[in-house]
Amino acid sequence: MGVLLENFSTVTFSQVAMWIIGAVLIFLAIKKEMEPSLLLPMGFGAILINLPNSGAQHIIDVMFRVGIDNEFGELMPLILFIGIGAMIDFTPLLTNPKLMLFGAAAQFGIFFTLCLASLLGFDLKDAASIGIIGAADGPTAIAVSMELGSKYIGAIMVAAYSYMALVPLVQPPIIKLCTTKKERLIRMDNTAGKAPSKLTKILFPIVVTIIVGLVAPDAVALIGFLMFGNLIRECGVLNSLSETAQKVLANLVTIFLGITIAARMRAEEFLTVDTLLIIALGLFAFIFDTFAGVMLAKFMNLFSKKKINPMIGAAGISAFPMSARVVHKMGLEEDNQNFLLMHSIGVNVSGQIASVIAGGLILTFFR
Amino acid sequence: MNITPQLLGIFTDIYGSYDAMNIQRALLIALVGFITVIVVLACIALFIKFIAFIFAVIEKKNEKKVSTVITPIEHHSSPAQTSDVTLPETESQGELELIGVDEPTAAILMALVSYKTNIPLNRLAFRSIKLVEDE
Repeated sequence: MGVLLENFSTVTFSQVAMWIIGAVLIFLAIKKEMEPSLLLPMGFGAILINLPNSGAQHIIDVMFRVGIDNEFGELMPLILFIGIGAMIDFTPLLTNPKLMLFGAAAQFGIFFTLCLASLLGFDLKDAASIGIIGAADGPTAIAVSMELGSKYIGAIMVAAYSYMALVPLVQPPIIKLCTTKKERLIRMDNTAGKAPSKLTKILFPIVVTIIVGLVAPDAVALIGFLMFGNLIRECGVLNSLSETAQKVLANLVTIFLGITIAARMRAEEFLTVDTLLIIALGLFAFIFDTFAGVMLAKFMNLFSKKKINPMIGAAGISAFPMSARVVHKMGLEEDNQNFLLMHSIGVNVSGQIASVIAGGLILTFFR
Repeated sequence: MNITPQLLGIFTDIYGSYDAMNIQRALLIALVGFITVIVVLACIALFIKFIAFIFAVIEKKNEKKVSTVITPIEHHSSPAQTSDVTLPETESQGELELIGVDEPTAAILMALVSYKTNIPLNRLAFRSIKLVEDE
């Protein structure tokens, strides 16, 4: 009997706090439908790992070592990239390649936050790992922070996925702050540009991999797996593989990743001042990503005859397709005939590529 | 009053690792990294433009091989229809001679001409659409 009750006496306040955090994540996933596929496993995992003498600790640690932290690199995030690549349709971007620049501008938050975290005293590698929250891309954040050996991976993951889920709350006020009503009313031509040929769609992932690989060799794994997934989708002869990558593979890895991240959510590691700082810095990263994307659009409007609705610049963060939807919805709120989805999706997918390149560059700089 | 040193001092107390070299390096990495991302994406955008240009050239060459002759006549003064009822912008009426062209192809061609010339279909009259084979 004493053995059965022993566990009750070993429960600590910090463990209870982690259960509450886990419950909040599960609540956000179910009730608010915020990134449920990740927040729910992470929330449950946080409870699982923080039970006193939890028998799950060992197995979650093993899963972490197998899937994320092993001698072969970050296996699971990379495999997830195949699924993500297979899900992305680059047509809007190929129709209007100019949108690429917005994706690049919206990575400003990563580099700004890197400097800010460094200024706050974080070690450079940790600062870079925190900055990558601004990529708004979970697998990239996991891959980079693991590769750099950051000890804050739990907090970084929670911040990255939470803010991705909170895009509809974080971005609109920033966009409104940076734009005038007149700018938000700018209509964009939805008929501009010619649909890309099949050959272009096939060449695109190959050429992107080569270009990025030459500039940032450490980004090859990230961009290569993403583009491989896209090639499977676009080649037209591997439909069943493409479907498997989009659904079964992506779902399997997502379940695995979500619960495995909990290995870095132990109370003694997670409940620190650093975690609060990292969460605050993550918010900064998202804010400055949004700000930079919008500002680039405004800057381009100074020289362009065809005006760009600056709101689409905000979709350059790679929270796909949430950010594009937010911008489209804001456009409709201002003018119910202003359809920005085609453009915002184009910017959004360019953000996906840009965030992977930024992640790869950071790896290149710190290796 | 510059409070930065005091603020940094607080963080130094917390972390004990404030390092000016770190910040300089972070700034340099941020600058180089951000510029590189922009340059790489600009290169990819240029590549897409280049591919699109090549396809446009190839398409033009193909168009020359088998071309159709269309003779749109725009009536600026009065609509194409003769009746008093004004037709919707997407509709038209009248006689059209098709030579070697089927109806769906003719419909597509008329829609294309309307779109490219920005003249609504109810203001365009087509006398004939004829298939011309290259010699």
